[in-house]
Amino acid sequence: MNKTKIIALILVVFFMMAFLTACAAVQQGADILTATGKISESDRKAIVQTSEALRSTFADITEEEEYYIGRGVAALILSRYQVYDDKALTDYVNTVGQAVVYSSSRPEIYAGYHFLVLDTEEVNALSAPGGLIFISKGLLRRCRNEEMLACILAHEVGHVCAKHGLQSIQKSRLLDAFRLIGQEAGRRYGPEELTQLTNIFEGALGDVADTLILRGYDRKFESEADELAVKFAAATGYAPQGLVEFLRTMVGDSRAASGKGWFKTHPSPEQRIERVNAPAASLGAHLVEEPIRTKRFQQTLAGLK
Amino acid sequence: MMRKNLEEVKVKRLIPRTLAIGLFTLVICLLAAETLIVKVQSTSLRKSPKFYAPGLLALGAGDRIEKISSQEGWIQVRTSRGVVGWVHSSAVQVQKFDLMAMDKGLKTQASASEVALAGKGFNKQVEESYRAKHGEVSFAWVDRMLLIKMPASRVEEFMRQGKLGEFRGAR
Repeated sequence: MNKTKIIALILVVFFMMAFLTACAAVQQGADILTATGKISESDRKAIVQTSEALRSTFADITEEEEYYIGRGVAALILSRYQVYDDKALTDYVNTVGQAVVYSSSRPEIYAGYHFLVLDTEEVNALSAPGGLIFISKGLLRRCRNEEMLACILAHEVGHVCAKHGLQSIQKSRLLDAFRLIGQEAGRRYGPEELTQLTNIFEGALGDVADTLILRGYDRKFESEADELAVKFAAATGYAPQGLVEFLRTMVGDSRAASGKGWFKTHPSPEQRIERVNAPAASLGAHLVEEPIRTKRFQQTLAGLK
Repeated sequence: MMRKNLEEVKVKRLIPRTLAIGLFTLVICLLAAETLIVKVQSTSLRKSPKFYAPGLLALGAGDRIEKISSQEGWIQVRTSRGVVGWVHSSAVQVQKFDLMAMDKGLKTQASASEVALAGKGFNKQVEESYRAKHGEVSFAWVDRMLLIKMPASRVEEFMRQGKLGEFRGAR
């Protein structure tokens, strides 16, 4: 190999390395240049924009956007239901919920998970996007132990982890929002864009709230949440058979089946038992109901009015 | 003449080695320099990979950290100030750079991470606008609900008492 070839080879390698390194460092470089005032914020965005994909589905909703959608949905839920304001009970439900969250597939969420008890005899549990979860007094009353409560909370955490709520937003609405948001350069919107975006936001909240409260999720989402409930509960150390046992208490219960809530908007208890029985038995083979857990459950629930 | 030939042989041997070392170093550098961005409002850099491990420092949305290693959903990271600790993988996103998108030219829309970094999209301003329009929808309990926080140490004690998680089977 002569000298020219060697030099040519070295140059090719050098440019290859320079290109790859530059690609990996474009965003950081653009940030540094912006920070030092060498380029403007819009230049930085233009540089970075060329390298990233457009938003097109619910999966592209950011954590912060999910949080704001969740707040709105929670506000709509709370405009229909009163809160059962009992600190000891709320703390207990939040602690059980948080223990389950630690073993879930999405333990960290924008503003954390929070649980609240609703003052209604309806047998119901609801989860707004962003981890705001509600459980009714009526449903709590039907739980016999901490395992059952943990499994129901795990089912709701499952809906949040799998972003089922966000998936009930109409796709066209989402695309309109993404288009509008993409066109705006600044953090704050002008009056016209804000009006349009507020209307889309309102529509999105309606899509999610109607699904949660009135229509119910698709059966496949309910099955997925049941599967996740079994998985998360077992991973926490709760006997996942708690879900099966809870569902059994609901079989043939006309009041629960005819009313609003968890059983009107879900597949029948029999169908659900059929699906979760085997995975619960398998994952929960070494897990049993601990008397100490049942005792603290009963003590906390004793004062339920 | 002999000496010149020897030199050529040496140079020829050196080229593949240099190339291999260069490429190896490049790959290592690119892998090692994986930047993560915190995507949740706040989290802790923890001393060990557990939610109730002592916190070393607080991290907030948009903070950048460098990945060192990972294990079972947890990532060991280093902050810009050199503090090493653990974050859960659900709290961060990988800073993506799509080489294939280089030739697509300038876009007219924003990507998810841009929107996140800019705090755009459905944000506080949009919520305020919605609330101004719908005075009947109260956010008072939503705000109260968000204040309910169980400290990790309390959850740990609750799990220990109830023989849950790593305390299963413990007396």
